[in-house]
Amino acid sequence: MSYFYPEAAVPAPVTPETGAPAAAPVASTSGQPVAAGAATLGGEAAAPRKVDLKTALAGSNRVAIDTPRVAGSINLVGARIDDIVLKDYRETVEKDSGPVRLLAPEGTGVQYFAEFGFVSGGARQPSNLVWQADGGKLTPETPVTLTHTDAAGVTYAIRFAIDKDFMITATQSVTNNSPAAAIIQPFALIKRTSTNATIDQFVSHSGPVGVFGGTLWDPHSYKELAEIGQEVPEGSPDWLGFTDQYWLAALVPGDGKGNVKVDDASFRSLPGDLFRSDLLYAASTVPTGGTVTQDTRLFAGAKESGTLDKYEDGGITNFGLAISWGWFKFFEKPILWLLRTLNGLVGNFGVAIILLTVIIRGLMFPVAQKGFASMAAMKAVQPKMKEIQERFKDDKQRQQQEIMKLYKDEKVNPLSGCLPMVIQIPVFFALYKVLVLAIEMRHEPFVLWIRDLSAPDPAHILNLFGLLPFEVSGFFAIGPLALLLGLTMWLTFKLNPAVMDPVQQQVFALMPWMLMFVMAPFAAGLLLYWVTSNILTVAQQSYLYSKHPQLKAANAIAEKAAKG
Amino acid sequence: MKQLLILIARGWQLGPSRILPPSCRYSPSCSQYAIEALGKYGALKGGWMAFKRLMRCHPWGGHGHDPVP
Repeated sequence: MSYFYPEAAVPAPVTPETGAPAAAPVASTSGQPVAAGAATLGGEAAAPRKVDLKTALAGSNRVAIDTPRVAGSINLVGARIDDIVLKDYRETVEKDSGPVRLLAPEGTGVQYFAEFGFVSGGARQPSNLVWQADGGKLTPETPVTLTHTDAAGVTYAIRFAIDKDFMITATQSVTNNSPAAAIIQPFALIKRTSTNATIDQFVSHSGPVGVFGGTLWDPHSYKELAEIGQEVPEGSPDWLGFTDQYWLAALVPGDGKGNVKVDDASFRSLPGDLFRSDLLYAASTVPTGGTVTQDTRLFAGAKESGTLDKYEDGGITNFGLAISWGWFKFFEKPILWLLRTLNGLVGNFGVAIILLTVIIRGLMFPVAQKGFASMAAMKAVQPKMKEIQERFKDDKQRQQQEIMKLYKDEKVNPLSGCLPMVIQIPVFFALYKVLVLAIEMRHEPFVLWIRDLSAPDPAHILNLFGLLPFEVSGFFAIGPLALLLGLTMWLTFKLNPAVMDPVQQQVFALMPWMLMFVMAPFAAGLLLYWVTSNILTVAQQSYLYSKHPQLKAANAIAEKAAKG
Repeated sequence: MKQLLILIARGWQLGPSRILPPSCRYSPSCSQYAIEALGKYGALKGGWMAFKRLMRCHPWGGHGHDPVP
C-alpha cells in the first residue's frame, strides 16, 4: 500500500537544453541511454480567458473532422482536438436539437479537449504554438499530419487518423536534424471543466477514470479529486480519462496493454473547476539524424457497450469497464443483451422493458408457486398449529420452536427460504443498473407523455399535468408513474401471504408512499420496470390464490393471530 | 475477514431482513447460523458452512431445527 507514488512521478531536476545526461535515474527503466526530462506536465496558474463557443470555433486555424458518427475540428493552435460532436446523439429529446457536443475549446463554458505535444529537454511546448497541417479534412480515409520545426532544426509531427466510430490515433514523432542530441518526451492530456459533468452516482461513476495495471481505477468524483489535488494511480496505464454517465474521453497510451514507459500518468485538479488527465511518456534521447515515434489513441464518444467491447477485443485492456458495471457484470451483460434484442423485436424501448420484466418474473414464478403449494399443504396442519399457538401463548420462543418441530414432523413449510431472495437481489440490482447505464435508453420514447425513458417523468400531478400555470419541483414533483408505483406496491403488500409482526406491518404500510417520493426523480424507464414488476406480483398472487382458495381464509386467520 | 463476514450477516439482519417478509425455513435463521458458524469455525470453514446452509434454504430444500454442529 505504500507504493502510491511511483518514483517516476517524483519531480526530477530539469536538464538544460544542452541535453547532458543527468545523474538522476529518471528514465533508467527504459533501457535506453539515461536522459532527463520533465517529471510531470506541471500545474496551471490562472484560469484561461473566457470566450464563447461560436467565436472559439470560428478561427481559421482549424482542420475539419468528418466521419459517419463524428464531426468537429482539430485546432492547429496547440495541436488540440477541442471540437467534437456526436452525430448519432441529440442534445435534447427535441428532434431539431443539435448533436451532443462532447469536446469544446478552452475558455468556453463547456471546455473539454485533448492536447498533444512534446516536452523537449524538459521544457513543454507552449500551448499557443501554431502547427502546420498537410490536409484539409480528417476522415476515416484521409489522415492529417501536423508538423512544426523549431529553431534548432528538430521537426515534430503529429499524425491524426480516425476510425469509423470514436477512436482517433495520434502518432507523435520527432526527427532530429539539429547538430545536438535532443531529449524528447511526447505527451497528451485531456482537460475539462466539471461544471457540465453528470452527477457521480452510486451505480454510475462520473469523473476521472482509467485502467492501471489491468485494474479499474475510478474511486473519485471531481469534488474529491479537487480536495486531493493530484492523484497518481498505481500501475502502468492502459487507458485514462474522464467519464460521464453516457460519454467518455480517454487517452490510450501505446498498445493499450500497459507496455509503455511513462513518467507521468495522473489526474489533477486545476483552479476554476478544471481537471486534467496527464500522459507524459518517458524521455528518450534522439541523436542527430535520429527519429522517435509514439502512438497514443484518443477515444472521444459515447459509451456504447458494443463499441467499447470492440476496442477491448482489439487490445485495449478492460476498455469495456468504462461503463461502471460493478460487481454484477455477469448478470448485467445478458440483461443488456436481452433488452437490446427485445427492443429490436418490438421497436419500443418501453415495451422492451415490460417484456424483460415479464421474462425475469416468469423465471421466478416456480418459486412463488412452490411456496403456495406448501402453504396449501399447511392448511392440513392448521388445527395442530392453532393448538400450539394456544398452548405457548406467553412463550414466543417456545412457540416458535414447537411450530418448527411441527413443520418437521408433518414435512411442510410455508416459507420459501432466503436463497430465492438472496438470488433475486443481484438480479434486480443488475436490471436497475442496466437501466441506468444503458445509453440505448437515452431519448427513447414509451407512450403518451413519456418521450424519454432515461429522464424523470415530465408530468406532474400537483399542477394537473401542466394545466395549472406553475412549475412543480423537488420533493413534490410526483408524476403519474410514481403514483402508480406507490399504488401498485401498496397492493402487493396487501396481498402478501406472509404473516407479519406489528412493526413490520407498520413498515409495510408506510413503505409504498415513501418509495413514491424517493423514486419520483428517477428515470421513467426504472419506474416503468418497477410498476410492471408490482403489477405482475399482484397478478401472480391473485392467480395463486384462485388456485388455492382455502388460503385466503387461512391467511386472514393467521394475520389475526399475529396481531393478537 | 471473519469479523467482516459477521458484520455482513449482522447488516443483513438489521437491514433487508427487517423489511422483507419472514422467510426462514430453518431455525436458527441463515444469518444467525452464519454468525455462529463463523465464530466457532473461523472465516474459511464457517463461511463455507454458512454458504452450504444458504444453498439449501429454498422451497425444495430442507427445513426445521438445524443448528451449527
